[in-house]
Amino acid sequence: MDIILSILSPDVIFPVLFAMTFGIFVGGLPGLTATMAVALIIPISYYMSPLAGLGMVLGVSFTSIFSGDIPATFLRIPGTPASGAATLDGFELAKKGKGSLALTLDLFCSAIGGLIGILLLILIAPPLANFALQFTNFEYFWLGLFGLSMSAVLSKGNMMKGLTSAVLGLAISTIGIDITTGYPRFTFGNIELMDGIGFIPAMIGLFGISEVLKRVQQGAAKLQLPPITEKVKISPIEALKIIWKEKMTLIKAAFVGTFIGALPGAGADIAAWVAYGVEKKTSKNSEDFGTGNIKGVIAPTSANNAALGGTWIPALVFGVPGDTITAIVLGAMLMYGLKPGPLIFTESRELVNGVFGIAVLANILMIPIGYLGIKAFAQVLKLKTSVVLTGVVLFSMIGSYAIRNSYFDIYVMLAFGFIGYIMERLAVPLAPMILGIILGPMVEDNLRVGLIKTGGSMNQFFTRPISLVLFLLILLVFLGGPTVGLLKKAFKSKKS
Amino acid sequence: MKKLLVFLVIALIASSLLFSVDYPRKAVSVICPWGAGGGTDRVARYVADELSKALGQPFTVVNRTGGGGAVGHSAGVYAAPDGYTITLVTLEIANMHWLGLTTITYDDFDYIAQFNEDAAGVIVKADAPWNTVHELLADIKANPNKFFFSGSSAASIWDLARIGMFSEAGVPVDSVTWIPTTGAAPSIIELLGGHVDVITCSIAEAASQLDSGQLKALAVMSDERLQRFPNVPTLKEQGINWSAGTWRGISVPKNTPTDVKAILEAEVLKIANSEAFKEFMDINGFGIKIRNGVEFYEFAKQQDSAWKSVLELGGFIQ
Repeated sequence: MDIILSILSPDVIFPVLFAMTFGIFVGGLPGLTATMAVALIIPISYYMSPLAGLGMVLGVSFTSIFSGDIPATFLRIPGTPASGAATLDGFELAKKGKGSLALTLDLFCSAIGGLIGILLLILIAPPLANFALQFTNFEYFWLGLFGLSMSAVLSKGNMMKGLTSAVLGLAISTIGIDITTGYPRFTFGNIELMDGIGFIPAMIGLFGISEVLKRVQQGAAKLQLPPITEKVKISPIEALKIIWKEKMTLIKAAFVGTFIGALPGAGADIAAWVAYGVEKKTSKNSEDFGTGNIKGVIAPTSANNAALGGTWIPALVFGVPGDTITAIVLGAMLMYGLKPGPLIFTESRELVNGVFGIAVLANILMIPIGYLGIKAFAQVLKLKTSVVLTGVVLFSMIGSYAIRNSYFDIYVMLAFGFIGYIMERLAVPLAPMILGIILGPMVEDNLRVGLIKTGGSMNQFFTRPISLVLFLLILLVFLGGPTVGLLKKAFKSKKS
Repeated sequence: MKKLLVFLVIALIASSLLFSVDYPRKAVSVICPWGAGGGTDRVARYVADELSKALGQPFTVVNRTGGGGAVGHSAGVYAAPDGYTITLVTLEIANMHWLGLTTITYDDFDYIAQFNEDAAGVIVKADAPWNTVHELLADIKANPNKFFFSGSSAASIWDLARIGMFSEAGVPVDSVTWIPTTGAAPSIIELLGGHVDVITCSIAEAASQLDSGQLKALAVMSDERLQRFPNVPTLKEQGINWSAGTWRGISVPKNTPTDVKAILEAEVLKIANSEAFKEFMDINGFGIKIRNGVEFYEFAKQQDSAWKSVLELGGFIQ
């Protein structure tokens, strides 16, 4: 009871509400990530009590991860890296004039997925953290490979083109300093390239700028954005009814998301892609994915918000960051005089409970705040299309620059815009390239470090229990796909 | 009369411009070569805030990250030498160029003041069989190629700290396997999970795990014991003449006016010596080490040659 009262006191609830509104704004701007939103809110939060301050961080991270889906759905520009997968079916729905429907579902699923993540954090943090700790290079290698195999799932029909896209992504991911040897690769002496191609500028370019180019090329007559038809706007009750029908999709994705978030080597972006892939793989009508299937909206958005709860698990239990956001949070905890790690549950039990309480509350409050965010963004789309597209280019540039105050990243973003445009003209899917760029280092570094540990033997990649399970899962994906394909072919030929 | 007054006023302004430096007259950028929210960034923001208060102009932190610090340090070196771009310089300035990652060296900066040094620790799991660094080193000598060390990427400062310790203790530097990771935090996770045996990284970064008893520190690579960890012996008191760690301070591009440097040095030293700074650094687990501009330059020079010889020992450069 005390906890509820302390959460609802004005000096806690108002800062949290402010932070959540701020998160909607930052997440909705392409290139401004959830991590950046947290980094921006931290200096303000130092003037608050620990409860209000940590509440602000939680609030801002939840809303910014959600609102990254708003431009992803309306304009196909992911607002944050975690929204990459939302560009697939969300945008297709928007093209059919169902953008508001997609985003209403998105909002509710973000909140429910976030709640599931937090509940798992509250209920099973210590055992889950201990399980995650058993993951090392061997397991991360298979996990990365599992993620990469999703590019097969994400390539609509044409495996060859999907593979090309993924391999290009992998090749791009090899640029930069190689951590196993400490030497730079393919940087041509350019220090801007030493950390590799920035993933965020690449993603904004591939999805956002290429879409702008496509529209410009289609000519003035067709220079139109998806219409926002008020007819398909749905009431919360209807939205909940649809979600109830798809509850298994949501729950599955939220569990996948929380678990991936709890792994110190993976975060919300990977969670969203894996959840999308898993959902498509296990769905009966997987053909519909990528053409505006609501399951393709629900799965990634539930997973990325659930992953946020997951990332707090290693942070609270061991005091080690699960992702870039919790890395900042751990610093903030020190400033408040808290000691993250197992002691926090005994020394600061009350505060931990308070933080859990705020996390639950923030997910509920996200629904009205997020709803206002969607409405505000929809107003923008009522402007002349040429104005909106100019704004898209402008914000893509600002966002790319803002990540590390680098002009170089603007050129990277523009270059990837052209690459994306050409790829789409050749009907090469973009998503596998993104997967290649994100997961390339995970697969390569973990394979090589794993081999350093074993002295060159592949044994441990198969003999460790978790490794073996992951390996078998991948086999299932690879062999399961063609089998289903064969069956479908047989079925089709019978029909004709 | 009026004309005379105007003349006097103008003369007064002109003379003040001629005879005293009016610095700063506009906002100053503080380049931080590391990301927002991290340890270096927190220190940069604290010092920038205090400088703003003391000098009456905004000092804004600009994170220029990338290339393991190369991007930010280069931006700092190539900025106009007018005092309006200052850099939070870190240890990497003394070893990056040896690895061929950049062409800039410690000598491309003028040094204002140093305010931090964080020594490396030799850290193992709480239930590890070793209780002193000598037990550990003897075990390594008896069982070459058995143990995994980690702390960060290959040839990083924490790898070099380990190599220097081995060399001083007479243990062959290649008698353990270095497991490269992307930084101290992932190394701590590897150690907690039992996937590596020992980590050598900033002892401050493992403070939470040391306090909670998940990990234990066998030694710290500082000259004297640290206030924050009074029970952890130094390598030196155990007969191994080696200290290593990371450090931070403020520098400006070469050829910045002497007057500007003097103003900055006085203010940074004042901040570094304040009670509030001590409290801030304590909370964050950072160590304080203060050197003035001249001492800081000498230190950077000494570090530059020290790391070169360790890089040679490790076989990273010829």
